[in-house]
Amino acid sequence: MIRRIFSSEEGSAAKFFMFSAIVWLIVGMGAGLLGALEFSFPDLTKGVAQLSFTRLRPAHVNTVAFGWLSMANIGACLYIIPALCKTKLFSEKLANFSCYLWNIGIFVGMLTLLNGYTEGREYAEYREPIDILFVVALGSVSYNLFRTLLNRTVKKLYVSVWYIMGAFFWMPIIFIVGNRTFVAMEGLNDGILNWFYGHNILGMWFTVLGVGIAYYMLPKMSGKPIWSHSLSMFGFWTIAFFYAPTGTHHLLQSPVPEWLKALAVIFSAALVIPVISVLVNFYMTMKGSWWMLTTNMPIRFVLTGAFWYLVTCLQGPFQATRGVNWYIHFTQWVVGHAHAALLGTFTFFVIGAIYYGLQRLTGKRIYSVRLVKWHFWLLLIGFFLFFASLTIGGLQQAVGWALGYPVAQWGLVLPPMWLVRSIGGVLMFLSSCLFGFNIYMTMREKPISSELEIKVAVPIEGDSK
Amino acid sequence: MSEDKNSNENKSVGAKGYILPAIVVAFSFAIIYTVVVAIPNLPSLKSEPSKYAMEYVEKEADGTIKRDEQGLPVLNDAGKGRAIYVREGCFYCHSQFVRPQDRDFGSRVFAGDYANETPNVLGTSRTGPDLSNEGGKLPDEWHVGHLKNPREYNPGSIMPSFSYLPDEDLGYLVSYLQTLGRKRMDDPENRHIYEAYYPEADEAFWHASEHHKPNVDSAAAANAGAGIFRQNCAVCHGLNGLGNGPNALAMAKKPANFSRPYYKAYSDKTWYWRVAEGVPGTRMPRWKLKLEPEQMWYLVAFLKTLPQDKSPIIEPYQTIDSEAWQSQSALPERITDNYEKLAKNKKKGGKSSKGGHGGH
Repeated sequence: MIRRIFSSEEGSAAKFFMFSAIVWLIVGMGAGLLGALEFSFPDLTKGVAQLSFTRLRPAHVNTVAFGWLSMANIGACLYIIPALCKTKLFSEKLANFSCYLWNIGIFVGMLTLLNGYTEGREYAEYREPIDILFVVALGSVSYNLFRTLLNRTVKKLYVSVWYIMGAFFWMPIIFIVGNRTFVAMEGLNDGILNWFYGHNILGMWFTVLGVGIAYYMLPKMSGKPIWSHSLSMFGFWTIAFFYAPTGTHHLLQSPVPEWLKALAVIFSAALVIPVISVLVNFYMTMKGSWWMLTTNMPIRFVLTGAFWYLVTCLQGPFQATRGVNWYIHFTQWVVGHAHAALLGTFTFFVIGAIYYGLQRLTGKRIYSVRLVKWHFWLLLIGFFLFFASLTIGGLQQAVGWALGYPVAQWGLVLPPMWLVRSIGGVLMFLSSCLFGFNIYMTMREKPISSELEIKVAVPIEGDSK
Repeated sequence: MSEDKNSNENKSVGAKGYILPAIVVAFSFAIIYTVVVAIPNLPSLKSEPSKYAMEYVEKEADGTIKRDEQGLPVLNDAGKGRAIYVREGCFYCHSQFVRPQDRDFGSRVFAGDYANETPNVLGTSRTGPDLSNEGGKLPDEWHVGHLKNPREYNPGSIMPSFSYLPDEDLGYLVSYLQTLGRKRMDDPENRHIYEAYYPEADEAFWHASEHHKPNVDSAAAANAGAGIFRQNCAVCHGLNGLGNGPNALAMAKKPANFSRPYYKAYSDKTWYWRVAEGVPGTRMPRWKLKLEPEQMWYLVAFLKTLPQDKSPIIEPYQTIDSEAWQSQSALPERITDNYEKLAKNKKKGGKSSKGGHGGH
């Protein structure tokens, strides 16, 4: 056990991160599903404090955000960065140790949140000792990757490296700022800082990592160079410039200073620029290769993610403008939007990267391509039901409030939407279980090649068992 | 890909040539951080506590904050309740800021009102109603019962049941809820805003009612009220006030069942106010638009006599088999134990729900 944790085998840390992520995906999604069911059946877990919706929600959010998505992204980066730098990871031992710490953090964090030990700030609910654990783990991964970058044997940096290393530069700072319990802030300043953090872990961490991974995956799998290197760098610099001050758009009608709101709205609207440049680059890279969607599973996941990226990132800037925000703030629309980013886009990106990367790392062929397809369709249909029901329900709420109906009364129109959402949640949970099963069975197979760089890694229709 | 060109050089390149871009990234981030985080938190730009800011700590007689042996501030009941509000995650579904466009949510909020709030509980979703001005709208007993069994009090609600909280915690939580916006509502300058549903601040409302007030404890007044009840209320609340009138069948939110013990805790004024103002979000109308104050006081006199099992004032309605009718349209089984326990505690002077400051 100890030997495995401090293994120095090449690629072991990336695998460790990915496997842990899949476990947390199933746990976190299960928590989310139970929470969603409690909207339809409020007395489902009556009397059990740990399973009350209000305790499940932070446990769900933190487990999927930090347990699943962050760990999966780090696992993918631990594979991608050495590959792009044409060197080994600086220290596999250190990376394995980080993953160990990270897992402890998520596990203890989930238990503490379920038992009501919370900081009470959205996305920053973990208490101080767990925050410190994360800072150490995150800092060591960052250090590891930057040392790897310095050891590189290629001169020019590909755009994915910029994106990923940018994320590993920003995230530790944002995390420390967002979880500062050493500086107690009062009143609205606490809220402003809360949303500086809350929106920037989306913008400067998940978005940047996800786009970096997709920039790696698309050219690699389609076998074509990226359409425009300068456009990709333009996207990176604009996202770096525009994203950071947007958090205050969560508080647009609250009494925070007007100039901060104006700054947030302008910069949020300007985010259309990096989004469009990234997507144009993705789609133009795929020009002439769209047929790959039919046979190549990782690319299908990444391109579906790119579609949801279009949806969520066109919603985002419009939502942040004052007029639209006036209408839809506080409704379920926003919940749908948040899931479209983290689940629809970045989860799809990183699942593609895991299917691709794990085969390369282990030299094993995926156990069942049919299960991959089931995973894809269940996840996509489940998520579509989820997104559509919350968006429609959000618009219903919005019109009710705009007409002046009380929240309590207008809430009565939503139960069908919540039921549809739960059905979508069941499908997605099922797909995650299939994902976990498929990866588990893959790992039990014998490697078809002991070489790290095998050529048969991409599942092709007809190759399946 | 372009980076493949130099792949045959097999020695490390280092940071050469990338120091300047790295500095630019760091510098741009530092500027943004300064503008967004550091400047709004400068002490000179911090908003001073307004007169509506909530107080969560005990004060000494000279106005300084009371501290315990470890030097930590001593929390008052509302402060303890706020900690429970944060711990139980109430802020995930209940917002605490009234926006300019919100109607009937009470007066708007300003930065200084939040001076004593940490962590913030502004909220991002209104799955439940906004609570900025919740204090004083409903009796403590209602809040405790509603927290334990939300659907008993508010049919159709999806609020989780907090029956797992000990009575002490519920008491603190209700203290906190009753404090929310209370200073704002008790301020005479704001009376015009709250006239609609906080009639205690409206002198004209109570003046008119007191002027016509009969003796609500008299059998004669109750008898008069019974007629008004049959004509106006029985169609929803049922002839016996059990909430099982014919209209109840078609309602998403069922009418009140007056035989429930917590209605026994209503004061005359609470009864009167409830009848006059109706219940927002339900089909219960604002009867002051239709009935005279005197008629509403008669109703109060009658409602106080419910349940009427031993009361000789009103003969039970005989032409329909009332038991069969009741079983047909029976409401979900009542959970009365909680309220009875609560009532006992209250008589003993227990501190299970000691809510609010001043006000009534």
